[in-house]
Amino acid sequence: MWGGLFDFLFKYKHWLVFILLEAVSLVGLFSTGGYQKSVYFTTANSVVGSAYSTISSITSYLNLVSVNRELETENEKLRIENVNLRSRLRLANTDTMALNSQLNDYNIVVAQVVNFTLHKSANLMTINKGRADGIKPEMGVVCSRGVVGVVYLTSEHYAIVIPLLNVNCRISCSLRSSECFGTLEWKRGNTRSTYATGFPRHSKIRKGEIMETNGYSDIFPPGIPIGKVGCINNSEDGMSYRIRVDLFANFETLRDVGIITDYIHQERRDLEQSVEETEEK
Amino acid sequence: MPILRLFIILAIQVLIINHIHLCGYITPLLIGYVIIGARKGTSHVLLLLFGFLTGFLFDVFSNTAGMAAASMTLLAMVLPLLIRLYAPRDSDDLFMPTIISIGMFRYWTYSLLCMFVLHAMFYVLDAFSLHDWQLTLLSIAGSSLFASVLCVIAELLIRKRCG
Repeated sequence: MWGGLFDFLFKYKHWLVFILLEAVSLVGLFSTGGYQKSVYFTTANSVVGSAYSTISSITSYLNLVSVNRELETENEKLRIENVNLRSRLRLANTDTMALNSQLNDYNIVVAQVVNFTLHKSANLMTINKGRADGIKPEMGVVCSRGVVGVVYLTSEHYAIVIPLLNVNCRISCSLRSSECFGTLEWKRGNTRSTYATGFPRHSKIRKGEIMETNGYSDIFPPGIPIGKVGCINNSEDGMSYRIRVDLFANFETLRDVGIITDYIHQERRDLEQSVEETEEK
Repeated sequence: MPILRLFIILAIQVLIINHIHLCGYITPLLIGYVIIGARKGTSHVLLLLFGFLTGFLFDVFSNTAGMAAASMTLLAMVLPLLIRLYAPRDSDDLFMPTIISIGMFRYWTYSLLCMFVLHAMFYVLDAFSLHDWQLTLLSIAGSSLFASVLCVIAELLIRKRCG
């Protein structure tokens, strides 16, 4: 008799467990009708929650020293990273010197200005890249806004640039809208503008037009902006225009420049030199 | 391993899915997923206890007071039946209904059936009246569908990770 009952119970034990568990669940469910009863069941959450917050407040207090140390090292790391990222950002910004698409075809070495005078008539600029980086005299120097100058001397790791703000600097230029061309000449004093001379009287020039390099020399590729036409005057001899060009490049805050290293055509240079030599003879 | 999976899924359920209320009435219970991958030969009592425990934990963290425990217990009760429905005739006790063993579509229908049982019980207990039965039906259907899709996604993720 009892054995039969046990057999029955064992055979249907899952039913018993099922009924039992369902009963527990449903009792739990239906006994949480009122507010007092619901507090009992929902405190399970707040018990767990308060237990966790207690534990975490204790451990966090105990860990404060190591946390502090970690924070300090992390701070230091971040500071270094910040400096690195800043310099990389600056490089990236100068690297993308998207003056125009033409420049993308040239190899540009990015350098920083390490020394620069503005108050002299023959201002010179020192940059931190030299022969070791492939810099040679007479290479063009540009910045993100436009033309900066021409490399004058190079040492192993530095180079001296003749900027536009140098009375000896002569760069061939032309207006973007016309074929007329002239030469840039700087007058000591104003660091924001230079003068373009030699524009013929018949050329039509408007204020605000863009002055750019014209590629007649082998220093700059054509089309690199230099500045905007500020005001137009007659030259001293009255045969041509003398144009004030407001420079795009801000030399007062200039720091990053790019050197165009592969525009020099040796063949063209040799040819032009041989012509000069034959004329001398 | 099943315990770890239980806690991960419980955390996902409590922290994320409980805050989803699609169209205002669809809130899937992914916790069903922790037992629908049970082996064919798993002890029925063990399955019931595991289901109840999972449901109970969900209840504790969601203030649903026994609703999920009751639903999960019911699902655990009918699960061996459903597994046998999908297991090949000659399969042994180690057979597990997975996306690999029964295929994606059949796994989806299997999880849809399981989720239907789970959500039917859950939402019936939730409403506990026939007053708004259309909405209850919509909740059951929508949540089952959603949960079954989640099950398939979870299955894909887990099986992919395990190779």
